[in-house]
Parts: sequence; C-alpha cells; structure tokens
Amino acid sequence: MDEKLILIADDDRDLVTALSIRLRSAGYEVVGAYDGEETFRVAQERKPDLIILDIRMPAGGGFSSIDKLKHSLGTMKTPVIFLTAFDDDEVRDQALSLGCVGYFRKPFNETEFMEAIRKALGET
Amino acid sequence: MQLKGAIYLGDDREAALALEKALRDEGLPLAIASGDLEGMRKAAEMDIDVVIWDRDNNEPGEPIPVRQIRGVGLNRQPVVALVRQGDVGSALASLAEGASEFLFKSPIQENPAPRLIQAVDSRQRDMRLAWCSKAIEDTSGQLKAIVGTLKDPAYIVSPDYLILYMNRAAQEIFGEGLWGGVCYRVFYDREEPCGVCVSDKGPARWRSVLKNGKSYRFVSTLIRTGGGEAEKLAVGTDITLDEEVRKIHKTFISNVSHDLRTPLAAIDQYLNIMLEGQAGEMNADQKKYLEVIKRSSFRLHNLIENLIDANNILSGRFKLRMQVTGVKEILDIVLPLLRAQAREKGLALQVTVSDDLPPLYCDSMRIAQVIANVVGNSVKFTERGSVHLRAGFMPGDQARIILSVEDPGIGIPKEDLGKIFDLFYRVEQDQVYVEEGAGLGLSISRDIVRAHGGTLWAESVEGRGSAFHFTLPTRDVAAPSG
Repeated sequence: MDEKLILIADDDRDLVTALSIRLRSAGYEVVGAYDGEETFRVAQERKPDLIILDIRMPAGGGFSSIDKLKHSLGTMKTPVIFLTAFDDDEVRDQALSLGCVGYFRKPFNETEFMEAIRKALGET
Repeated sequence: MQLKGAIYLGDDREAALALEKALRDEGLPLAIASGDLEGMRKAAEMDIDVVIWDRDNNEPGEPIPVRQIRGVGLNRQPVVALVRQGDVGSALASLAEGASEFLFKSPIQENPAPRLIQAVDSRQRDMRLAWCSKAIEDTSGQLKAIVGTLKDPAYIVSPDYLILYMNRAAQEIFGEGLWGGVCYRVFYDREEPCGVCVSDKGPARWRSVLKNGKSYRFVSTLIRTGGGEAEKLAVGTDITLDEEVRKIHKTFISNVSHDLRTPLAAIDQYLNIMLEGQAGEMNADQKKYLEVIKRSSFRLHNLIENLIDANNILSGRFKLRMQVTGVKEILDIVLPLLRAQAREKGLALQVTVSDDLPPLYCDSMRIAQVIANVVGNSVKFTERGSVHLRAGFMPGDQARIILSVEDPGIGIPKEDLGKIFDLFYRVEQDQVYVEEGAGLGLSISRDIVRAHGGTLWAESVEGRGSAFHFTLPTRDVAAPSG
C-alpha cells in the first residue's frame, strides 16, 4: 500500500523538520512548505492526503490558504488540521468555522495529535 | 397641643370680647389690637400662636393682608379669619387668600379653641412643606449646575423618552436645540426605545459609540424632580482610550503568547526524536540530561500558560472548554511529569483514587493545570517524605468529588494562610525568596476551580506540612441538560 502524503505548512522550519522526522517514522510520506504561496503550489502539485497548516505565515496565512485550498478542484476535499501557537478563542472559532478537521495549539500533546492524523486519514 | 395665646386684630369690640370670653373658658388668653398696621406690629411683639383677623377690617373687594401680617414678623402664626355667621362666601375667600382657618362671629361660634389648634397645626405643616420644596428646588438647581459643568455628556429623559435636559458636553456631541425630542431617535438613530431602557426601568449601564465616533460607557440613575414616575439621568464616560489600550493589550498578549509557544513546539519534537532514539542511541547520562531539558521545557510552558491565564483572569477573558471526562483521564495527563518532578527531589508521589468516581463535566486541561500547580507547590516546599494525592467523594455529598494533596513540608505560617491565593504572592523564608514560580499558580488554580463551581482551600501547620483540597461538582449536577 502506498504511503499517505502529508503536507506540513509552517514558517518554523525547525518544527517542519522535526515533524517530518516524526511522521516519516510513523510511516507517512512528508512534504514541507514555508509560506502561504508555497503551500498552495505544493498542494496543487502533490495532492497530499492531509495538510497540517499553521495560521500565521508569510505570503498568505492559514485562513486565506484554507480558503484557497477549499476552492480549488484538486484540494477541495483534502482534510486540514490547524497547528498554531494562537490561543485566542476567536481564532479557534474562526478556524473551526473554516472546515478544518482538527485544531491543535503549540506545544501540542503528541498522542492526541497522531490520533487526529490517523482519524483524518481514515485509518481508525 | 397647648397654645400660649392668640390675638384678635379688628375693631368689632363686641365680637372681640365674646371671643375672649369663649377662649378664656377653654384656657386660652386672647389679646386685642386694632385691625391696622399698628395692631399687627403690637401682635408681633407678643408671644402668641394665632392671629385672628376680623374680615370686617377689609374694604369691599380687598383680600386679607396676609403679606403685611407676615411682613411685621408674624410668620409662624396661622391667620384665622373671623367672618359673619352664615357668610360662607367670605369664609371660603379667606381660605383662598391665605387664611389657615375661619371662625364665625355674631354670635361667636361655640368651642373655637380646637379650630385654632388645627390652624396652628396646618400652618406648621405648610411651613415645613414650603421649606422642603425650596430645598428641593435649590438642590435641583445645584445638581443641574454640577451636571452642566461636567466634561462628560449627561442628559435627563422623561419616562416616555422625551429629552428634558442636556448638558453642554451632550450638546456638543448631539447638537443644540434637541430638548423635547425623543431620546432614542435623537441620540441613537433608533426607531424604538433601546433594550436597556425597556427591560430595565431602574438604574442601568450600557456602552455606546456616539455620533462623534467615540465609545462611551453610560450609567443612568433615577431622579424625581416632580411627582409621578421618575426621570432618568444618564452620564457617559469617554472610554475610547481604554478600549484602544485594551485592544492593544490583547493583541500584544496574543502575539507574545504566540511567539513564546512557537519554539516550545519545536523543542518538544526534537526532544521526543532524541529520547526515542530516532537520532541514534544515547547513553544513560545523555538520556537523563534530555529528561531534565524536557521537564524544564514543560515548566516553561506552564509558566507561559499561567502568565496568560493571569492576564485573562485580570481582564475578564477566561473561558472553559467543558467536556465530560474522568478523574483518571485527567491524572494521565499530568502524573508522569509530576512523578518525575517528585523523583528529581527524592520524594515519593502517592496517588489514591476511589474506583467508584463518576465522570466529571469540566475543562480537563484546566483541571490538570490545577493538579499540576497544587502538587508542584507541595513538591516545591517539601524536602523529604512523600506527597499524597487523593481523589474521592466529598464525605456526605455524592454530588461532589474532592481532590486533596497532602505534604509533610515546611508548612505555611498562620498569618500567610489567607494570602497564599493572592496573585503574585510568594512565601518568604528567612528573607530568601524561593526562586521558582511567579506566585501565579495557586491564584489561578483557585479561579479555575471557582469557575467550575468548586472550592479550593488550604490547611497547614507550620513546620509540619500542608494540605490543599478542592472540590468539583460531578457530571450529573454540573452538565447542562439536553
């Protein structure tokens, strides 16, 4: 069976690298993107099975990115999990209203995070 | 009431003597003087309680000279008119002209003293009323003068929403010449009365952005300038700057918290990668040191959370994410780290949880935070022995569970026991501050427990140890129905 592809979009390159190591060891294929434009481009090119999306990023943050992704044929059905350091209820409510399947706050509980990924990929 | 005496002013000698006799029989002396200015002056020099004015003194069509009588200093004395028997017209005219009472003469009516007493009574009441109404008028004038000079907008509206008064500041915002207009139309461009006035007829508070683009906080109070329903005085305070500061503050805190949390996520991930050997095998020392880094990172995380919580509590923005969960699930979140924390200090952490505990309806992360704060506190102030965490039913109350943390540590001085839940409080020992913590944990914990409908309290004997207890309602009582 092919490995599922996860796109990690975050301007914190260190975190993208660390998460890539963790997710690859859990058996996933991983690709990274570091700003909004790159996220959209990579998502269109690679058609990931899941996108882990930061909210504050240069060249288009998570909210405008999810909007673009949800309105593009190739990615409109791709599940999105927000991973952000924001803790405001307003940000959280807005994120949940935009059609994401999960919302995690940094630093996050890894067990719950991996569980959410498996669920988003239909593995549980 | 015992009267000292009365005076008859007039020239009807026969009537005067008859009256004098009638009053003498009733124990009241009567003086007699002429019905002119001289007679009035004479009366003013005497210690009398009632002036009896013979209406025959009046020229046809002239009223009783009440003003003149008052003018010579006969102020407190009622004027009683003496009119001819059966002349009801003159009797009523006298009352209209300022007399407090009337008596008939030719012949003098029987038993006149009680009517004089009644007259004195009525005059006293009138004088008190006049004094009060002048005082009210004065106060009302002073109030308007004070309100008029306020820099804050103020206005008075009637119960049916008509503008009765606007001070200068209000006129500068809303415009001049608006008195008599309908307040909700003029001030707020509405077609119907504002909700706050409809739902709350009493004093109220509301916020509003006015026509000058600034934000105001209004407080209204009921005032009664006349009879009937009370009018409403509303005074607004310009809070534009406060709101801007609040907004900047919120953005600042949000950004600081975001930027502090971001690197913690990467630190956590790399620690996990190394501890799980994904970057190669490590020796025991390397692993031990990484564990220390991990705990420090957790403490840093907790500190950031506490700082942000304190800020949210202070600014009234503190929300819970309630869900149904079990005590054991909550303990799973914090116990590994708390055990490590205790082990590091050479302490044991004992945990006893009753098996029969029902689910809770709570914000599990927040309750985990309370447990971490309270246990962390006990570990911090204990040098040897073991810290014991217990969870069970509140004795005699199946609707509450109680969590207790007991330690054999240094204890809390009696005089400090009431202060340990204050924000930024830290125990001072031998003039050396305990180095860790910003004095936020217990204060925040108490607020979290309170927000859940529970109570957090402490017991302690200095030098012997402390016990912290907190209660939480069980799911059945706390969860919303449906």
